[in-house]
Amino acid sequence: MDKRVIFAVAGSGKTSHIIDGLNEGSRTLIITYTENNFKSLKKRISAKFGYIPSGIKVYTYFTFIYSFCFKPILGHDVKIKGINWDIPPQFTLRLKRNDERFYVDKNKRLYHNRIAKMLEQFGVIDELISRVEKYFDSICIDEVQDFAGHDFNLLLQLASARVNQLLVGDYYQHTFDTSRDGTTNKTLHDCYEKYKQKFIKSGFTIDTDTLSRSYRCSANTCEFVTDNIGINILSHRKDATNVEFIKCKERANELFTCPETVKLFYQASYKYKGLTENWGATKGEDHYGHVCVVLNQKTLTYLNQGKLHELPSQTKNKLYVACTRAKGNLYLVPERHLLEFKQ
Amino acid sequence: MNSMKTITKIQLRNFKKYREFNVSFDPELNLLIGDNEAGKSTILTAIELVLSGSKSKVETIGLESFFNTSVIQDFLASGKKFENLPVLIIELYLNEQGNPSLNGKNNLDGVPGDGLRLICEPNEELSHEVAQVLAQAEANFPFEYYSIRFSTFADEAYTGYRKFLKHLTLDSSQINNEYATREYIKTVYESHVDQPQRIGLQNDYRQQKANFKENSLKPINDTLDNYQFSVKSGTKSNLETDLTITEDDVPLENKGKGRQCFIKTEFALQRSNPDQDLDVLLLEEPENHLSHTNMKKLVDRISESEAKQIFIATHSSLISTRLDLRKTVFLNSKSTDPLLLKDLPNDTAKFFMKAPDNNVLEFVMSPKVILVEGDAEYMLIEQLYINVTQSTPERDDVHIISVGGTSFKRYLDIAKLLGMRVAVIRDNDGDKEVNCVDSFIDYTADNMQVFCDDDDTNWTFEICILASNPKLCEELFSKKLRKKPKKEEKITLPEYMLSHKADVAFELLDKKAEELLTPDYIARAFAWINE
Repeated sequence: MDKRVIFAVAGSGKTSHIIDGLNEGSRTLIITYTENNFKSLKKRISAKFGYIPSGIKVYTYFTFIYSFCFKPILGHDVKIKGINWDIPPQFTLRLKRNDERFYVDKNKRLYHNRIAKMLEQFGVIDELISRVEKYFDSICIDEVQDFAGHDFNLLLQLASARVNQLLVGDYYQHTFDTSRDGTTNKTLHDCYEKYKQKFIKSGFTIDTDTLSRSYRCSANTCEFVTDNIGINILSHRKDATNVEFIKCKERANELFTCPETVKLFYQASYKYKGLTENWGATKGEDHYGHVCVVLNQKTLTYLNQGKLHELPSQTKNKLYVACTRAKGNLYLVPERHLLEFKQ
Repeated sequence: MNSMKTITKIQLRNFKKYREFNVSFDPELNLLIGDNEAGKSTILTAIELVLSGSKSKVETIGLESFFNTSVIQDFLASGKKFENLPVLIIELYLNEQGNPSLNGKNNLDGVPGDGLRLICEPNEELSHEVAQVLAQAEANFPFEYYSIRFSTFADEAYTGYRKFLKHLTLDSSQINNEYATREYIKTVYESHVDQPQRIGLQNDYRQQKANFKENSLKPINDTLDNYQFSVKSGTKSNLETDLTITEDDVPLENKGKGRQCFIKTEFALQRSNPDQDLDVLLLEEPENHLSHTNMKKLVDRISESEAKQIFIATHSSLISTRLDLRKTVFLNSKSTDPLLLKDLPNDTAKFFMKAPDNNVLEFVMSPKVILVEGDAEYMLIEQLYINVTQSTPERDDVHIISVGGTSFKRYLDIAKLLGMRVAVIRDNDGDKEVNCVDSFIDYTADNMQVFCDDDDTNWTFEICILASNPKLCEELFSKKLRKKPKKEEKITLPEYMLSHKADVAFELLDKKAEELLTPDYIARAFAWINE
C-alpha cells in the first residue's frame, strides 16, 4: 500500500499526475478543495475516458465530508439542514466538545470547519474508514496544502485506511485558511519542515522530486521566483521568456489596455476595469499567456530591497501564485503607474 | 459479484392500509397473494413510487389517498399538535449496489445499508401556517403543507432522472390506457436501446421528416405562396411518441386485451442488453384477460425468466401454485402482517406445494374457516350451518374447506402464523382423548379449536348424523339395505351409510335439507366460529 505526499511546484502537472494514475476500472476517491479544480478534474477524466467511470468519484472537500461522511453515518441521528459557512461565534469555543451546539448552529446547520471534529467526537472515524475501504482502492487528494484546522487532523486519521493514498499539493500555494478553528493546527503552515514531519509520523512518504519542475513557467520565470521570492521551482522548458520590471508609465498603460495580458492585483482588482484578477484567486488557473503582476507600495519596496522572501507568508504565497501563472512574459508593474484606471 | 439489483425488503409507515408494515423479498420472484383490499396493489404501488422518484406522481394522485386514514383520524381526534403530525414513509432496502450514494444509516432501522426512501412530512418552514390550520375547530388535515422527498439511505436526494434501479409496471387493468401503453413502450425501448443509440435514432427520425417535407411535400408547397405544409416534430411528436410494438405487423394497441397482456409481459421478460436491462418487473394481476392456456404459457415464461426481480400481485391459485409457493407473500385484509410460506415448518410448506390447488389460497384469504375431513362433510356442513344459525356461511364470512383426510395440522400451522379463526370438525375415530385432544396438544390457541363428538361410540361423521336424525335416515335408506353378497343377513343402516358416504350426503341434501338436525359438536363449532 503506497501512501505518498507529493509536494509539487506550480504548473508541474499535479492534476495530470492524478489523471495518469486512473484507468477505467479504478475505484478511486478524488478530493479537491476548490470548485475550479473540481470542475477541471471532472473535465479531464471525461476527456481521458469519454465518460466518468462509475468507480471514480470526484468530490470537493465539503461535499465529501458532508455527503459522503456526515450524512450517511450521522445524518440519521443528528438532523441537519445544511452547512453554515461563517466562522462559528466566539462563545462556542468555550463549549464542551461533546456539546452539540459546538457543531450545530441554532438553524440546525453544521459549522463547516467543525464537521471533521464532529466525526471524531462521535467516534465514527472507524466507520468512516470502513466506508472508504468498501468503495475505494485508492484515495487521491489534490491541493492538500489547503487542509487546515480539524480537517487536517481528519486527513491524518484517514491515513490508516487500507487503501493507496496519493496526496498532492504545493506548500507555498497555501493562501488562505477556510477551516481555522481556535488554536487547532494554528501553526501548521508556519514551518515547512514540521509540516512534512506530521505526514511522515502518520506513515506517509514525502516526495519532493516527482513534481518539482514546472511545465507552465519558463526557466527565466522560475529563476526569478526562486531568487527573489525564495521558493524553489525548476522548469521543464528550454525556451526563454522575459521577466521585465516596468519602469515607465507609457509601457504600463500599454500593458493595462492590452486585452490579452492579465493584470493581477494584490486585492480589490474589481476597482480596475479590464482583464484583471486578484493574486490569490488565480490559483489553479492555467490559461494565461503573458502576465502582468501589479505591485503595491509595500511589495514594491520589498522587491527593490531584494527582500520579497521576507514578506508575510500569506502575501508571499499569493505573489508566488500570481507570478507562476505566466506561460509567456512576466511583467512587474508598480500600481502607482495605473492609478488613472482606478474607479 | 452478482450484478443483479434487487429489493431485499420494504418498510411502510402510515401508507394506505398499513400503519406499520415490513416484509423481506426474494431476489427472484415474489407472489403477493390476498383477497380484495388485502394490500397487494398497495405494495406494488409503494415500490413503483419509490423507484420512479417522481414527485408529480405523488402529487397527481394526492397525499390524501396515500395516507393511512386511521392515523389521520387519530391525529384529528387528538390534541392536534404540530409535532405529532404523522409522517408517511416508504423504504426500499436494496442488495449491495457498490454505490456510496445509496449507502448509509438514513432509514427506519438506523442500520447501514443500501436503499431508497420516500418521506412525506410536514414542512417545518410552514409550521406557522400549519398551526393556524390545526387551530381551526373543524377536522382539517394540512395535507397541502406536507413536503414530498425522495432520498437515498446516504440522504442524497434523487429524482426520476437519476434512476438507481430500472423498473417496469404492467397493470392489466390499465391495458387499454393510452398513457400506460406509451409509458410501457418507452420503458422497454429504453431497456433495449442504449442512450447514445437512442439519441442517434431520434435525430435520424427528425431528418427523415425533414426529407419528407423537402421532397414529397415539395410539389404541393411549390404551389403555395405564404404558407407551407410541414410535418410536426418536437416533444409531442418524435420517435418516442410515435413508436409502437408490432407482432406480425399488427400494432400492439390493435390486439385483443388478452394478447396485449401476454405480449407486454413476454416482451418485458426478454433479456436484451445486460447493461440496460430492467431490474424490477411489477405485474398487477396478470391473469386478467388471459385464457387458461395463455395463463399457463405466461406462467412458464415467468418461471424461465432470469436476472430480474419479479413482483406479481395475483388472485390466481394457478399462478401461485405453479410458480414456487415458497415465494409467496400472503396478505390478509384483516391483518397487516404478511405471511411468508418460507416461515412455515419445512414439511408443511412442501405439503402445500404438492397439495391440490385452491385450498391454501382460499384458506389464507378467509378470516373464519371451518375445516372438514372429506366430501360428505363438505356437502352437508353448509346446510347444517343454515339450519342452526338461520344465516349462511357467506353472510357470516365463514369458509368451509375440505382438507381431504386428516391434514388439519398443516392448515393450523398457517393459522398459527396468520391468526385466522379455524374450527376443525373431525371424527373421534373411537378415541376422543387420543385423536382429538392429545394429538392437537401443540395447537392450542385462542384462534383454533377442534370439535368432535364426546361419545367414543359415535366414532365417525355418518354415525353422528344417524344418531341425530334416526327417523329421517330410516325413511330414506332402509329400503336400500340389500343382502350382503354370499351371506344371509342384510347390511345394516350404519353399514350402508358408511359405504355410500357421498350418495347418502347427496340424498339427505336433495330430499331432507331443511329437516336435518345437527349433531351437537357441530352446532358448537358453528357457535364458536362466530363468537
